[in-house]
Amino acid sequence: MAGILVSLPEAARLAGDGQMIALGGNSLTRIPSAFARELARQGRRGLRLVKTAGAYDIDLLCAAGAAEEVHSGYVGFENLFGLAPAYRRGVETGAVRAVEHACYTVIAGLRASAYGIPSQPVAGLQGSDVPGLTGFREARDPYTGEKVFMIPRIRPRWAVLHVPWADAEGNARIEGGTFEDVLMSRAAEGVILTAERIVETSFFEERPERTQIPAFLVHAVAHVPGGARPGACPPFYDLDEGAVARYLEEAASPGGLAAHLAAWEEADRGAGAARPAGRIS
Amino acid sequence: MRRELSPEKRRAADRMAVFLARQIRDGELVFHGVASALPMTAVGIARRLHAPNLIYLNIPGGVDARPARLPGSTVGVQLLEGARAHFNLIEIFDLSARGALDLAFLGGAQIDGRGDINLSYIGDPKRPKVRLPGGAGSACILPTAKRTVLWRTAHDPRSFPERCAWVTASGKVDRVITPLCIFRKEAGRLRIESRHAGVAPETVREATGFDPGPCEEVFETPEPTPEEAAALQAADPEGVRFLEFA
Repeated sequence: MAGILVSLPEAARLAGDGQMIALGGNSLTRIPSAFARELARQGRRGLRLVKTAGAYDIDLLCAAGAAEEVHSGYVGFENLFGLAPAYRRGVETGAVRAVEHACYTVIAGLRASAYGIPSQPVAGLQGSDVPGLTGFREARDPYTGEKVFMIPRIRPRWAVLHVPWADAEGNARIEGGTFEDVLMSRAAEGVILTAERIVETSFFEERPERTQIPAFLVHAVAHVPGGARPGACPPFYDLDEGAVARYLEEAASPGGLAAHLAAWEEADRGAGAARPAGRIS
Repeated sequence: MRRELSPEKRRAADRMAVFLARQIRDGELVFHGVASALPMTAVGIARRLHAPNLIYLNIPGGVDARPARLPGSTVGVQLLEGARAHFNLIEIFDLSARGALDLAFLGGAQIDGRGDINLSYIGDPKRPKVRLPGGAGSACILPTAKRTVLWRTAHDPRSFPERCAWVTASGKVDRVITPLCIFRKEAGRLRIESRHAGVAPETVREATGFDPGPCEEVFETPEPTPEEAAALQAADPEGVRFLEFA
């Protein structure tokens, strides 16, 4: 297979220190967990993360000291486990800058980028302190005079998406909720995929309308079965609540994060490492 | 995560799920977001009883999903089971933006006397005492949805202050459901509408940081009926609703 298949470590090396990275999936579903762990193993620093609603991936990168900014509407472990401890600690100590958004303003900023315009008007935000804190400004619509908040463009260097199926060229199909993944793929300068299964291109030719990410947007693909764990990846596996609980325990203890990253290393790197590296242009 | 709960907390969870369900009107387009186990349960109750024609929207994008078991994450893939269409999260926000979303359920770590919510910070946002998760979609949905119903599983003066020091979202609040009572927003203020059975007027007053209005005269929230209790069990046999109280 030619194409843009790379190992997980190679894929993660594309995302350099200080870059803005949009992470696909939502909460604990179809998140690029293995990619986040690999960034942490490689000691990445200064990342500026973009997500509507995040949990494990954001918290892990905060725990590892890899995240400098988090642009998001929500970071937490929902009703299951509550607050995200490393994110919380990072923001409270000043190590992480929380760029306060509503989920819809993250979407608006990504839309501005995808549409090729500097900012995007968005409905809502009246009476909220979010615009004042984050610096969202109001403008008057030139036709009606109506006031509307304008969200500045969010243009990530990379959209990192974990998908069930991809081919070696970078075509990808998502099953279940697509969340903001498709928009992120259009808003970012480049797309990095991790995939549960690497399939033949004929898989996509049979139902091209179900290919949400066309290969021409994609820079690299890594074969990473289990790449969303401990999160879910429809249709292959569900959320592993016990493994999330173990992460939260480990991340809270000294040396625990290193142990967590080490424990996942073989699973994360296994399949992709066995493959010959492909072209990265 | 899944811990044993006291009978009081189990009762509070059951009541709140049923009382939230009663806020849903038949035929409404209803949305709940992340970390919303109680509203997710409420949707399952309402559609089995008084709102069989509600249209249920959620973060995975399922339109009218009928999950056999409720996920602990309200973003779980189970919320696509039985769906007739996919309507992406972005499209749901757009729907609210253009004024076409009938009802949204939104939580608040703090809900103040005006019905404004804080889900972001305790203390100075530049160096907060507590960094809360953030308001998710609320800052854009609260002003644009036709109606929103808030809920909070703790009812104490800290959770219900006169004014939130930091306002994540403000807008069209209709009702607020708590373990003690139901508030209704009238003329820009939250006022008590009903007390739950066994809750004394002074209990509500002492637990509320703002003036809730006359607590004596208000009626008692009708307890869940046998039909509602049965619908609750059918909607959430595994007790995912209890996660909000753990």
